[in-house]
Amino acid sequence: MTSQYENISSDLLWECVRGNNAFLVKRRQAGGVQFSRDFLNLTNKHSRKYEGFVNERAIGLQPSPSASMTLTTKIAKNANRPAKAFQTATFSAATPARKAYRGIVNSTAKKGYRADLRAEAVARASAVKLSLRKKRENPKAKLRGRKRVEAEGKKGGALGEVLI
Amino acid sequence: MVHTGMAKNRRQPYAVSEKAGHQTSAESWGTGRAVARIPRVSGGGTHRAGQAAFGNMCRSGRMFAPTKVWRKWHQKINLGQKRFATASAIAASSSAALLMARGHHISTIPEVPLVVSSTAFADGAIKKTSQAVALLNAVGATQELEKVKDSRKLRAGKGKLRGRRHRQRRGPLVVYEPEKDGKDLVLAFRNVPGVETCPVYALNLLQLAPGGHLGRFVIWTSSAFAALDTVYGSTTQPSELKRDFLLPSNVVAQPDLAKLINSSEVQSVLRPVKGGAISKRGVVQKKNPLKNKQVLLRLNPYAAAYAKEGLGHVKADGGKPEGKDPIFTEALHEN
Repeated sequence: MTSQYENISSDLLWECVRGNNAFLVKRRQAGGVQFSRDFLNLTNKHSRKYEGFVNERAIGLQPSPSASMTLTTKIAKNANRPAKAFQTATFSAATPARKAYRGIVNSTAKKGYRADLRAEAVARASAVKLSLRKKRENPKAKLRGRKRVEAEGKKGGALGEVLI
Repeated sequence: MVHTGMAKNRRQPYAVSEKAGHQTSAESWGTGRAVARIPRVSGGGTHRAGQAAFGNMCRSGRMFAPTKVWRKWHQKINLGQKRFATASAIAASSSAALLMARGHHISTIPEVPLVVSSTAFADGAIKKTSQAVALLNAVGATQELEKVKDSRKLRAGKGKLRGRRHRQRRGPLVVYEPEKDGKDLVLAFRNVPGVETCPVYALNLLQLAPGGHLGRFVIWTSSAFAALDTVYGSTTQPSELKRDFLLPSNVVAQPDLAKLINSSEVQSVLRPVKGGAISKRGVVQKKNPLKNKQVLLRLNPYAAAYAKEGLGHVKADGGKPEGKDPIFTEALHEN
């Protein structure tokens, strides 16, 4: 007798793997925090809602090497074809943040696809964007007083003598 | 539970020597010598003389409860349970999510469960390791092989000296049908790190769920996959090879809880939600009317007109103050 339903549901999966899986990071600190290394996890928290590999549909946002952001979505019907199970879209570094958020929300939450993760997706996009921003170097300190005199004195010499 | 038991059944007995700690003729000195009554080594001339012996707290004494070779090393596991566990492990190996949860790198695998046509193995086609590696690469297992190779580490502890020098991840398990696929592939796959082979008639729980974790990456040959039906039967058709064995049938037909809860059968018998769509807000942040215009308007509707007229910017007075009346000054200075 073949059952008419899918045998392995997300709920069953979650009960199998919630105690231990390859993505789970457990630490004794902070009351035994549990994080996840799953790339389809928007908050990196180990929980039924956010764990991407457990859920039929999932969203992932990752920085990609070329300073851009990759949006990965899981295609539910290809769940057992790993090579085809994911769709990716990239947002270049030049894309304004708001435009990127809109793109992410339009292609996921507004398409009936994990509307419950809308805020998390935008928050992660924002964080990724921030992490990709180049750090500005501190401006060179202007020398004041004696140090400036000395520095300039080496160059010209005349000013130093006058002040002394 | 079954895995814990089965993992114990390959152990070899070990124990400390029967004589360890007792190869001395020590005797207690009794009371009156101002030392503990523990047996002490007799004689003189060496440092050993007069030292305590035998006891588990003594240097070079025997250990506490010396290990014996007749410890209960093995565990009997009911055949039904073993079969149930193996069948479950095979089922789990067909879920991509469980494979990922076990840590297999399967993002380039075309399909799970991965079945390779037996024609690829026919007539000893896979005889050399190079051919085996080429096959694994062709089915997209390259990442998985790399993972295993990179994971090879020196084992911590004494196991290094006992033939278990390195530890590494487990790679794919190749399941074949020995009569149709031949046994050449066993030799071909033998030297590929992490890859194991197993005939479909002797599937082993320790290989299907290493460490008790479900979801081993299994590569089936098509004839092995077909043979599963004869080996395990189905939920109604008894197995041909295992006596009195039917596949375990589902306990619940629909395991998806969200679907169950949202089904019209369940929803129709639930009472409607109390309070409707708008419910009372609990603790909300108090808004500052001086900064938030909407809140300001709610408190003071005149604020709109006030701002529009620009009354906030109108100077209160009209022109310069008038000078003093000259008569007043005169009157003041009059003597």
